[in-house]
Amino acid sequence: MSLVSDPVAWASELTRPETWVLASSVAFAVALFGALVVGALGPTYFLFLVGLAGMYALLSFGLNAQWGFTGLINFSVAAFFGVGAYGAALLTADASPVAGGFSPLVGLVVGLLVALVLALLIGIPTLRLRADYLAIASLGLAEVVRLVVLNERWLTNGSAGLRGIPSFFAGWPVLSSFPETMPGLRITVVPGSPVVLETPFWEAALNVVVIVAFTLGTYAVLRRVHQSPWGRVLRTIRSDEDLARALGKHTYAFKMQSFVLGSLIMALAGVFYTHLNLYVGPGDLDPITTFYVWVAAILGGSGSNRGALFGGIVVVTIREGTRFLNDLAIPVDPAPLRLLLIGVLILVVMRYRPQGILPPQRELIWPAARSSTEPATSPETGVRTRRAPEPTADADERDVDTAAGVSEGGTTDRTGGERDE
Amino acid sequence: MTVLGYVANGLVFSSIIVLGSIGLSLVYSIADFANFAHGDTMTVGAYAALVTFGAVGGLGGAVLGLPYGFFLALLVGIAAGAVVAVATERLIYEPLSADSIGLLITSIGVAFVYRAVIQIGFGADFTRFEIGALRPIEWLIPYGIRVTRHDVAIVASAVVLVVGLHVLLQYTDLGRKMRAMADNPTLARVSGIRTRRIRYWTWVIGAGLAAAGGVFLGLFNQLSPRMGFNLLLVIFAAVILGGIGSVYGAMLGGFLIGMINQLTPLLSRLGEVLPLVPDGFGIPIGIEYANAIAFVIMVAVLLARPTGIAGEEAV
Repeated sequence: MSLVSDPVAWASELTRPETWVLASSVAFAVALFGALVVGALGPTYFLFLVGLAGMYALLSFGLNAQWGFTGLINFSVAAFFGVGAYGAALLTADASPVAGGFSPLVGLVVGLLVALVLALLIGIPTLRLRADYLAIASLGLAEVVRLVVLNERWLTNGSAGLRGIPSFFAGWPVLSSFPETMPGLRITVVPGSPVVLETPFWEAALNVVVIVAFTLGTYAVLRRVHQSPWGRVLRTIRSDEDLARALGKHTYAFKMQSFVLGSLIMALAGVFYTHLNLYVGPGDLDPITTFYVWVAAILGGSGSNRGALFGGIVVVTIREGTRFLNDLAIPVDPAPLRLLLIGVLILVVMRYRPQGILPPQRELIWPAARSSTEPATSPETGVRTRRAPEPTADADERDVDTAAGVSEGGTTDRTGGERDE
Repeated sequence: MTVLGYVANGLVFSSIIVLGSIGLSLVYSIADFANFAHGDTMTVGAYAALVTFGAVGGLGGAVLGLPYGFFLALLVGIAAGAVVAVATERLIYEPLSADSIGLLITSIGVAFVYRAVIQIGFGADFTRFEIGALRPIEWLIPYGIRVTRHDVAIVASAVVLVVGLHVLLQYTDLGRKMRAMADNPTLARVSGIRTRRIRYWTWVIGAGLAAAGGVFLGLFNQLSPRMGFNLLLVIFAAVILGGIGSVYGAMLGGFLIGMINQLTPLLSRLGEVLPLVPDGFGIPIGIEYANAIAFVIMVAVLLARPTGIAGEEAV
């Protein structure tokens, strides 16, 4: 049931929170567009915000692969984000104390490799630990990484940080000079405050292209992975690790794989941040980044990638929106206000909706099993071939349950009960 | 500075860590979650004392270079920490139907709210108690020990509080109930112990000691809204080293981590300090990694002996 072919049916299938989120997202988008048109919001800054929102969504995807899928409490998000950013920056920046001047693609690869090594270094000792110990240990190790970045001046330039970072497309055939060659546009919608689109705007537009590509790619991969047999094992580990073990799964290996996957996604966000912000400093490894990402993940709904996207947008709205409060004559320092909002958000979500606003529901169900018009078929892999000769209507329903797999309660309910009528 | 000087500093810093780690360990064992708001409870205590001291002033006389008003402020700080913690338990943690992981995540939110409120009220800058800095005690300087009478007051007060807690736990009814509850909450409940009330008392004691630690930290260094959060992981390291849930383990762990933290500068001069080691020998780890050492010790303990020094073997 797609949005394009049958919008009415698609809309009627939405759950209440989905409708709510959709409505508020549309309203928010309309408000932003309005602000853009009347010139209250600079288009370049708007695109920067879009990039930032995409970056937080990417970080929450990474956390989702760890916490949402497998239940690993990773409090070292900032460390992976930071090493991704520093890995890319150290190789591409002019002022880099070690290498520098390489193509951003090399920076991307190196950033991911460094994150891979760090993920193994942190994961090998800590993934054997109990959940709450893992939280403390990973936060501690992230602090160690931050202290190293802050103090090893020969490697990271210390507290001064790294400048002189090129944009992501530096050295590419057409795209490297794209922002300069694009003509400056001047669109006047409201008299007196024209919308000006010049070189910085096109640079920001390219960044948005990068983050959209990264985010969509990651989303597609995670969606596929989540529904795969591998993803089902992860979800089993999350709900009952002993059960997964009893089923013969080497849970430590699965946990490590999901930890590495998530860490690489976080590092990817870091690489993007390097080319978005064009400056990287030790402050970017501050644990607050970790908690921002946690807020995005639990607000959206643990294990839900759509939720992570939504959470990312909310976090960026809090992070950047508080800057404007002083314009509205509210004399509060934005930094603590941001902290307060984030804190209250955690408390409210944990109290009233611990499963998050968009908990995974249909995401967990194999697509073919979801639509009521087509006959349900088994996924090609991961399901043992049945002995029964001909699938009957009853068997089909059982099939749906198999595809929904070992998910949390409630999902099978929905497919089996309401949809099959 | 001589080895003795570092040890003396370590003793002062340890006192603060011990006060923090006892409360964290108590809450960990009785409320059954890792309380990430514990560091910020210390900050709450410190700022409450700052406000009180600013309001009441010195009140005449002084003990160990500290005016009477400061001790009054200390008591108010302890009370403020306890009240805030109990209110948080009632309003936030109690209505929550969450497991220990949910409580852990919630406590991060609580920590942010505490810190944000303090930062809105007092700004992000460093402040100090309005007490003049003292010169180091004269007769100790020849030994290379540079401690002020304030430092002595910190250690002495910490010892008083710790001994008081020991008496409370071992010889009073409340202490016995608390130990019973830490051991087996269900059994304690079945035996007729009002577990909810004991939980409140746990918060009072844990947060009160943390607040005292925060006041002393403010006296030892300075006050800032991040002071507690920055110390939180060090305190976790102490609790884990000592063994989660064991109050005496937390004291020992706090003492060791505080000492190691302050003795870090000696690492690069090991040759001069230790006998039988050549003079030029040293491990090139600077003071900037003092906290990192504590964190690495913490992870190592978790891996090798998750029950810590004083904890019992895993059941």
